[in-house]
Parts: sequence; structure tokens; C-alpha cells
Amino acid sequence: MRLVLTRRLAPLDGPLAFAALYAGAIGLAVALGGVLFLLFHADPLAAYLALISSAFLEWRGFGYTLVQATPLILVSLGTIVAWRSGFIYLGFEGALVVAAAAATAVALAAGPGGPLAALPGPGVIALALLAGAAAGMAWSMIVALLQVRTGGNAVLLALMTNYLAVLLVQFLVSGPMRAAGDQPQTALIDRAFWLPIVIEGTRAHAGILIALVLAIAVFLLMEKTAAGFELVAAGLNPRAARYGGIDVDRRILLAAIIAGALAGLAGAIDILGVHHRLLDGLSQGTGFVGIVAALLGRMTVPGSVVASLLYSGLTVGAEATQRHTGLPSAVIQVVQALIVLCLLGAEILRSHRLALVRSRPPRGAA
Amino acid sequence: MSTAVDLAFLTTWLAAGVRLSGPLLLAALGEIYAERSGVVNVGVEGTILLGALASYLVAVSTGSPALGLLAAMAAALAASLFLGLFYVVVQANQVVVGVVFNILALGLASVIYRAATGDTPQFSSTPMIEPLAIPGLADLPVAGPVLFQQSPMLYATLALALVGGVVLFRTRFGLNLRAVGENPRAAAAAGLRVTRMRLVGVLLSGLGAGLAGGYLVLCQIGLFRETIVAGRGFIALAIVILGRWNPFAAIAAAFAFGAADALGLSMQLLALPVPPQLFIALPYLMTVIAISGLFGRARSPAALMQPYRDE
Repeated sequence: MRLVLTRRLAPLDGPLAFAALYAGAIGLAVALGGVLFLLFHADPLAAYLALISSAFLEWRGFGYTLVQATPLILVSLGTIVAWRSGFIYLGFEGALVVAAAAATAVALAAGPGGPLAALPGPGVIALALLAGAAAGMAWSMIVALLQVRTGGNAVLLALMTNYLAVLLVQFLVSGPMRAAGDQPQTALIDRAFWLPIVIEGTRAHAGILIALVLAIAVFLLMEKTAAGFELVAAGLNPRAARYGGIDVDRRILLAAIIAGALAGLAGAIDILGVHHRLLDGLSQGTGFVGIVAALLGRMTVPGSVVASLLYSGLTVGAEATQRHTGLPSAVIQVVQALIVLCLLGAEILRSHRLALVRSRPPRGAA
Repeated sequence: MSTAVDLAFLTTWLAAGVRLSGPLLLAALGEIYAERSGVVNVGVEGTILLGALASYLVAVSTGSPALGLLAAMAAALAASLFLGLFYVVVQANQVVVGVVFNILALGLASVIYRAATGDTPQFSSTPMIEPLAIPGLADLPVAGPVLFQQSPMLYATLALALVGGVVLFRTRFGLNLRAVGENPRAAAAAGLRVTRMRLVGVLLSGLGAGLAGGYLVLCQIGLFRETIVAGRGFIALAIVILGRWNPFAAIAAAFAFGAADALGLSMQLLALPVPPQLFIALPYLMTVIAISGLFGRARSPAALMQPYRDE
């Protein structure tokens, strides 16, 4: 007995087959997660119910889901722009923390006695967001320029710049920007520069509105404009795009600028909306999870927004479930990764049929 | 600074450099097989972590470092079989699979570690593989401590690198592996099974990564933490590029990274007025410079990351 893959005559492309595969893949991942729950003596059904209700059905939890989804949406938008343009960027984590540092610097400079103290509150917020976007942009340009100019390996370069960014922030909060106290962190940003709360009684701040507006902007850019068409063309087939008169290198730099700015905004918003100060370990993998959200959304804007909300809901729910049942939240991290892998794996069933064959096929047939 | 101090500093630094380069070289050697067959295994980072965890748990519970090493190999083989299915059979984007697998491995390691040690993690250290001084040679000045008072794992790793070079360039298996990575269509026409060959490449890379994890725990740290790998898997990928997909050159590349890493440790001892983060950043900075193309463009295997399906 062995499993054999045979090619389907026609790939499964209908919406129904597609939905069934997606549902099946998520179901499998959730079931595998349930087995893990049992390992910790938690009732899987109760655990999942607690998870969903605490993330989506309670106001406070839902507000927190929105807070967590905001940087994910922004990073996934950046992923869509970069990856669809052929710039396989994995450095969002670094762009995000560098931008957080820049936004903090601006907001602190606007505090009492600072050089920007004369600026009104909204002006400071706008300037801090811009500084974050600019910093993220500059950070992603390092990799883009190296890729375009010297043909460096963008994937590895970006991964390395992530470590450099984290160390840079570590240096800033333990050295030049450190506030008096035991913890390596900066002073708290003045309350006047915090992003306003948009849902009373929760921690949901205005960042989610910025993210949603930018989602619409990116959707219009990629789907409705000539510039977006050129970006996608450069990504789909660089050689053909070059033949069509598109300067592929310039498109890659443009994609890097947009992607870096989006990730930078994610970092700046997290400072002004959540942390209110710069500290070490600011982003726990948001830059990577945003990429995953974009993948789950099949590189489309609406899909990525939904995937970001679901993913952050799972994360928020995981923390609540950990408080209630003692289930370690890393279990949910495993379930999240399993969902992605199962979805990736399901792809093959669209073009191939999996069958159990009784005997060994003749040599050379597999 | 007197010459004696200089010499002592040099000796400590180089010896630490060689010591730290061991796991990097081991992981990079494995990765060379995968990439020569046409697969970039970004999942080495996670595989090292799972290998480290397996070796830690087994060595602590049995008291035998050898069993720990075996456990690391078994865990890594299982992990890379899983990875290989995604890379070669499903043919999902290799970078994506690797990145997601690293997230999965981090979560799994944390969950398993907690399940195995209970709610109050105990920090019992493993029995270690002790360094082996080679009689006679170990007493040489500088070269003795640097080259001949190292872990047996290091000697084994160097031997594996030499064997790896011979296997890749002087055997039929090596020729076939490289053919699959250069031109899978032609290799298949010549009767090679591309899928199977690539799976073997991924399994070998997993084996190297798993052993590297065991190496970290059993020869260097003696403990397990989730942050134990700290990007070494990615640095191993850089070593492969810097070493031009050649095991012999990888020895030199790995040592360069080990030395950069060790320079940070040695300089911290000197208490210079320089932020410690700068030294920690050194290997990552070196990687950026190494792969940015400033040393000329490296030519990767032609079919790297290109899917191929046997029909």
C-alpha cells in the first residue's frame, strides 16, 4: 500500500472546490491543534470556544483584536506590493522596529522643553507617523539597492537586516535614548501624542482606521492604476516587462519604498497607539506574521485584511485561553503555522489526485 | 599591551572562533547538499532548534550525550522529511515554507519543552561532550589551543567537510546530485529521479542542521532556551553562498563567521568603551557584506528554487 499522486486532467478551479479545499485544510490544522490541546489536558472544543469568544464576541477582546490586526494589515499590504512586484522582501520586522525608534524620537522631541515642543498634538502625531514611514522606507531601501545594484541575495540580506535593526533598537534603549530607571527603555511619550481611542471601553485606537484607508489605497494602486500594473508586470515576468519598456529595477525600488513605508507606519502606530515608549523586544515576529497573512489572503488586499483579523484574533484568543485554562499560548502559534502549511499543502490537491495504491507500480512510474 | 598579552588575546580569540564556527559549518555543509540539488532550505533555523531540543531532552533524561546526538539526528530527519514533502512534492514556494516552518518549530519547541519540564522549568544542564586535547600537538603555542584542544565534534565536522567535498565532486552520487540542481530536465532524461534526489538533499541538510543543534547543546551551552539558535541557521545559509556551494571553501567561510562572533566575546572582556551590541552585530554585518555581491557575484546552482516534477 502506498500513496500515489497522479495529475488531474484539469485542475480544480471552481469556487466550490476551492472553498472545500480551504475549509478542509483549516479543519485539519484545527484538529491537529486539538490533539495538542489534549496533551495539556484541555478540552479542545471548550478551548476553541473560549478562544473565539474572547477574541471576537467580547467588546474588549474585539478591540484588542483590532489593535493587533493593525500592524499585520499594514505589513501584509507591504508584502503584497513588494512580492507581487518581484521583490521578495523578508525584512519587515527590521523596518518596523527602526520606524518605531524614529517615531519615538519625534514624539519625545515634542515633549516639554524639547525642540518640537511648540508643535500642536495632531501635528506631532502626523510628524511621528511620517518619520516612521521614512525610516521604514530607508531601511527597506538598503536591501533593495543592494539587490538591484550588486545582485545580492535579497532573502538573506533582509533576514540579516532584521537582526541588525533589533540590535540597533537594543543599543538605543540601553544607551542614547534610555530614560532613568531599571528597564532599558525610553521615557513615556506625552499623552497628548497618543493615538485617540476609537471604540470607547476598549483599547482600539485610530491606527485601525489608518490601516483600512491604506488598504483601500493599495487596492486601488495595484488593481486600478498604470503604476500598479507595471509593478505586477515587473513581478510576473521581469524579462517580458523589460521588453515591454518597463524599467524593472526602478519598479523594484518603488515597491521597496512603498513596502518599507507601510511597515514603518506599522511600527510608528504601535508606538503611538500601544507601547507609548520604545523598548527592546517591541515586535514579536509581527513582520513575519504579516507576510503570512498576505499569503493566507492569496496576495489580495481584501483577503489579507480578513486573514490579518483572523490571525490576530487567534493570538488575542490564545492569550485569553492561556489565562483561563493554562494552555501555553505557543500552542496557538503552532496551530497558526499548521493552518498556513495545510493551506500550502492543499494546493497540490487542486492539480493532483491523491490515491492509495495497493502494489508497487513498475519502476520509473512514480 | 605587552606581546605576551597580545599573544594570549590572539590565542583565546582564535580558539573561541574555531569553537563557535563548528555548528555553523555543520549546518552549512548540510545546506550545501540541499542547494546543490536545487532546494534552498530556509527551514534550517527551525531544524537546528528542534535538534537542539531533542538532544537536550534525551541527554538530560538518559545522561548520555551520544544518545542526545542520535535524538537530534532523528528529530531533524523527521522535520526535514516534512519540509522535503513541501519543497519537492507539493512544490510550494521554498522561502515561504521555510519561514513558516521556522515559526512552527519555535512554537513546537516551546510547547514540547514546557510539556516535558512541567510548569516550573528546571534548568538542569546536560552531560557535555568534553574537549579532546590531542597529545603532543595540544601543547604547541597558539596552534595548540586553537586547533588541537577542541571538541571531538569539531574534528568530526572538519572530517565531514573533507568527505563532503570528495562526495560532491568525486563520486557518482555527487555528480547526480549536482546534475539535478543544474538541469533537472536533462538529469531526468538521463534516468535520474529528480524528486527523490532532491528529497535526499533536503534530508542531508536536515541531518547537518540537527547535528548542529546537538553540537550547540552538548558541546557548547549544556542548556536549552528558545533563543539558543539566534539566526545561526541563516548565517549558515550565508556561509553556503560565501563558500560558493563548496564544502572546502565553506570551512574558511564558517571560520570567518566564528571569528567575528568570537571577536565580540573577546572584546567584551577587554571592557572597551564600545556598545556590546556592535560586537553582537558583527556576524550579521559580515553576512550582509559577504552576500551583498561586493566579493563578486556567486554563481548558484542553475536550477536553485526551480520546481521540477517527475512525470
